[in-house]
Formats: sequence, structure tokens, C-alpha cells
Amino acid sequence: MTKIKRHRGWAHVVTVPAAWAIVAVNVLMIVWIVLSSLKSTREMALHPWSLPKHLLWSNYRTAWVSAQFGAGVGNSLLLIVGSGLACILLAAPAAYALSRFRVRSSGLHTALFVLGLGIPAQTMFIPLYVAFDRIGLVDSVWGLMLIYTGAGIPYALFLLTAFFRSLPAELEEAAALDGAGPGYTFWRIMLPLARSGLITIFVLQAIGHWGETFFALVMLHTKTTLSLSLYNFTQTMQYTGSRYSVLFAGLVILIAPLLVLYIVLGRRIIEGISAGYGK
Amino acid sequence: MASAIAVSPTAEAGGARPAGPGPGRRHSPFHRARRRMFVPFVYPALAVYVLIMVAPTLFTLWLSLNRWAGAGPMQWAGLHNYTAMFRDPVFRTSFVNTFWIVVGVGAAVFTIAFGMTILLQDMAGRKWARAVVFFPSLVPGIAISIMWGYLFDPDGLVNTLLADVGVHSHPAWLAQDNMFKVILVGMTWLSSGVYTVIFMAAVDRIPPELYQAAEIEGASAFQRFRYVTFPLMKDVVSVCSVLWCVGALKTFEFLLVFSAESGALPPTNIWNFAMYSYAEAFNPDGTADYGIAAACGVIVLLLTGLLIVLARRVLRRDADTY
Repeated sequence: MTKIKRHRGWAHVVTVPAAWAIVAVNVLMIVWIVLSSLKSTREMALHPWSLPKHLLWSNYRTAWVSAQFGAGVGNSLLLIVGSGLACILLAAPAAYALSRFRVRSSGLHTALFVLGLGIPAQTMFIPLYVAFDRIGLVDSVWGLMLIYTGAGIPYALFLLTAFFRSLPAELEEAAALDGAGPGYTFWRIMLPLARSGLITIFVLQAIGHWGETFFALVMLHTKTTLSLSLYNFTQTMQYTGSRYSVLFAGLVILIAPLLVLYIVLGRRIIEGISAGYGK
Repeated sequence: MASAIAVSPTAEAGGARPAGPGPGRRHSPFHRARRRMFVPFVYPALAVYVLIMVAPTLFTLWLSLNRWAGAGPMQWAGLHNYTAMFRDPVFRTSFVNTFWIVVGVGAAVFTIAFGMTILLQDMAGRKWARAVVFFPSLVPGIAISIMWGYLFDPDGLVNTLLADVGVHSHPAWLAQDNMFKVILVGMTWLSSGVYTVIFMAAVDRIPPELYQAAEIEGASAFQRFRYVTFPLMKDVVSVCSVLWCVGALKTFEFLLVFSAESGALPPTNIWNFAMYSYAEAFNPDGTADYGIAAACGVIVLLLTGLLIVLARRVLRRDADTY
């Protein structure tokens, strides 16, 4: 792409600082959250921008143990890994068959899956709750995992059909010539080729489910996820007085893994999300 | 696709038929073997999807026509749930609030995203700026709303900053009347990043020759946007507006945190459809009314469908290509 020079009039003098100001606000927010998580609640309110006088790591201990963030992190991790893998194991073969097998009803099946992108959680939660209550899956991490898996399928399928469609057909044909059946061709040849697409989808779903609150709130009562622990903690503060510093330690526990993931896989995440919208 | 010169292996396998799509290709053993695998490949995913998403949706449609408290027999109610709901002032507030979130915040988000796209179009360090702007949209809504709530707390950062610059008379941000506005601003900030990134990706695909041509014609920055950038982004904007509507209609976490007392839901004047539906089913200080909760869920579903059709109609009509 050739670089082209454009007019740089007075507008530029105003707009560029404006853009950077927006960027700066975002960075400062994160710095402020981290600083606050290491202060006392009082210091946090009085000196929001100073470095903490003493690093109060005890905020994190309190958050992890007595505010139950530790248990929440465990369950949230189990949920995102379990539902992410299950969703890909289900959606990848389906997306492959729908995009490559040239079966006449493929279009209809794909449309049925894609409809799911428009079904809001509010339309599904009551029957799910009632049914899961009858079979003992309420207040169970496994039940919630099943919901995350099912709810993730439309999006995963939508992205993966596009991905499989872009792979060359010659490979499958060569494999067929060597006597490989469709199952073998898929698991041993096409799926490994789709690895980067699968990782992108896993990461996007993990990000989405890491802080999911609605279904967690509906389905879990005594068990907790990270976002539920945070929510419950804000609720208890009304009795125990504000302990915002502990709450902010909880926020850091929630945000830090996302930030690390974003720094490591940023481009993949951005491209994955914009691929779903563009074209 | 196999080219005309190289005989495709499928064609050989199915007898010496010419390559390319056609009846011969369709009936080759290769394709027959694959067609046999269609069900085992597709139906496990379909089963889970139908079980978790489609069946509950259908059941909700049925439930919305009945009166039911979760146990005991259901009572046929016809459209009674819907009429009762529309008479409920809380539902009407929820309706207005949902409208503000979808249309009001949506307009603000798209304006900001367009603004940022123009600002960042040929700025040094744009990749970096884009990455920073994008991050908040990855953070779970519940975290953003907790932070937002603290920012506007009476002792929060906003008041401290205002005091630092000498402003002591500020509105009570989280008072009944202002809380919802504060929430709307927070949601705008939360969502702008994604759309900025998507719009920028769309702009990057526009061929630079078009801008050079505009340059020669002496187009101003605004004219460049109006006559080059915007028409070529229409398609992306249309998809984005659909996705925005779908997402915005189910806003929940951002409101949940602003509850006045422990164990209770937020004040009814900030409820939206999602909150209303949840409250009708699970409100800690009320009886469950699954029928009304389901009716509200159906309304959300209908609105989602309607908005999708509308957004496609308005923006798709004459999408330009390049």
C-alpha cells in the first residue's frame, strides 16, 4: 500500500491530541485500578493518583480467601476450558461438513445454526432453569458448562464455516486418493490446518465466558464463578462497609489474565473479532 | 477447485469424468462417502444446539401464553401475560430504558467509532492507539460497571478530580434521576472500542487510489469521509448495527451492580427488558411469574428479529462495491 500525503491543516492540530487523550484515559484507568488495589480504601479515596504508601498485598489475600475469589477463579477456569473445548469438538466437524460436503440441505442447516446468533439469553433462561432443576443440574458447574457450550456453538460454527471454506480442496482429494475416509481426512488433515482458527475461537469464547454473569447468576446458588464472587462482594459491602480496595483487588484478578492474553495474542483477538463482522 | 488441465483425483476416482462441478462429481464415491458422514459430523452439534437454545426458545413461546409459578399445573392464559405486562408501569419504564440503550447508546457508540476512525486514519502510532482503545471491550461488563459505580461514588474519583480543579457543586451522580444517564455514558465507553477497530479494519480495505483521486479533486477531509469512506463502509456498518442491537437488547450486568441494598435488584427506574424478565422469574421479594418473564423474553426475541431486518433494509439497499 502506498503511503499518501494528505492535507494537514488546523483540523489535525485539534484532532490528533483528542485521539491521544482518549487513548490516555484508557491507559490511566488500568493504572488507577492497579494502584487502588494496593491501597487502603481510605487512601484510595483521598489520594487516587499517588503511589501507595505501603503496598497492601493483604487486599489480595482477603479477596482470594474471604471474598471467595479463589473458588470463583477455579470454577471460571474449569468453565471456560471445558465449554471451549466441548464447543470446538462439536462445532468443528459440523462446520467442516456444512462447508465442504455439498449436501443439498447444508444451507438450511447452516441457517438454522446462524439463527442462534440472534437468540437472546432472556428467551432461553426459564426453560433451561426449570429443566436443569428437574435433572439436578442447577447449582452445578457442569450444568452451566453445558449452557456455555450450547450457546457458543452458533458463533463458533459461523466463524469456522468461513474458515474451512477457505482451505484448498486439493488436499482432501489427495487424501481420498490415498484411501483416507472423510473422518480420517478431517481429524488428521483438515483440523490441524484449521488450528489457528480454532485457537482464535477458543480464546474469543474464553474471553466472553470469563466474566459471564447472567447465566451464572440464574444457575448457581452456593457455587460461584469469578464474576459472581465480585457481584456478591459488592452486595456484602452494604453490610460490612465499603472495602473498595479489596473489591479492586478482585477487579485486578478478573482483568489481569485478560490483559496478559491481550498482550500475547492481541492481533489474533482483534482480527478474530473483526473477521466476524467484516466482509 | 481443480483446474481444467490437471485432472482432479475425484474425477478419476469416479470414472474418467471431466473435473468441475456437475452430476459426475456429485455422484463419485468420494462424495458419496462424505455424504454418508454428514449426519455424524453435523448432528452432535445440532443436538446440543437444539437442546440448549432452540427447544428452550420454543418452550418460552408456549410458556408466555400460560400462567405458571414454576411448580404445579400451568394455566392457559392466552395473551393475558402480554396485556398485563404492557399495563405494568415498570415494564413501560423498562421499554423506554431499553430503547435508550439500543438507540441512544448505539448512536453515540457509532458516532464515536466513526470519529475515532477518521482521527486515527493516518495518525502515527495508530496501531498502538487502536489496541489500547479496544481493550475495555474485552473486560467483562460486571467489572466495568463496578469500576464505573465507584468512579461516580460520592467519594469517588470523579468528585475528587472535580474538587481538585475547584468544582464543589456537582450533581449527585448516583441519585435516582441521574443514575441511568451515568450508566448510559459508561456503556458508551465500554462499547466504542470494538466498533472503532472494526471500522478501521474496513477503512484499511479501501483502495488508496480512491483517496488520491479525491485529493486531486480537492476534497476536504469531511468530503473524503462523506463521499469515499462512508459509502464503502456501509456494508460493515450494516452488519455492525445488527450485532449492536442483538448485544444491546440483552444488557444486564451493567445494571445489576447498581442495586441499592444487598440481595435486592436495582431500582426499577433503571430496569431494562433483561432485568424485567429476570425479576419476574427470580425477584427475591416477589412471587415468581414465569409466564410474564417468558412474555418479556418473547418481546426481546421479536425486537431482535425486527431490528435485524430493519438494519439490513436501511443500510443494505444500495451497498457500493469496490
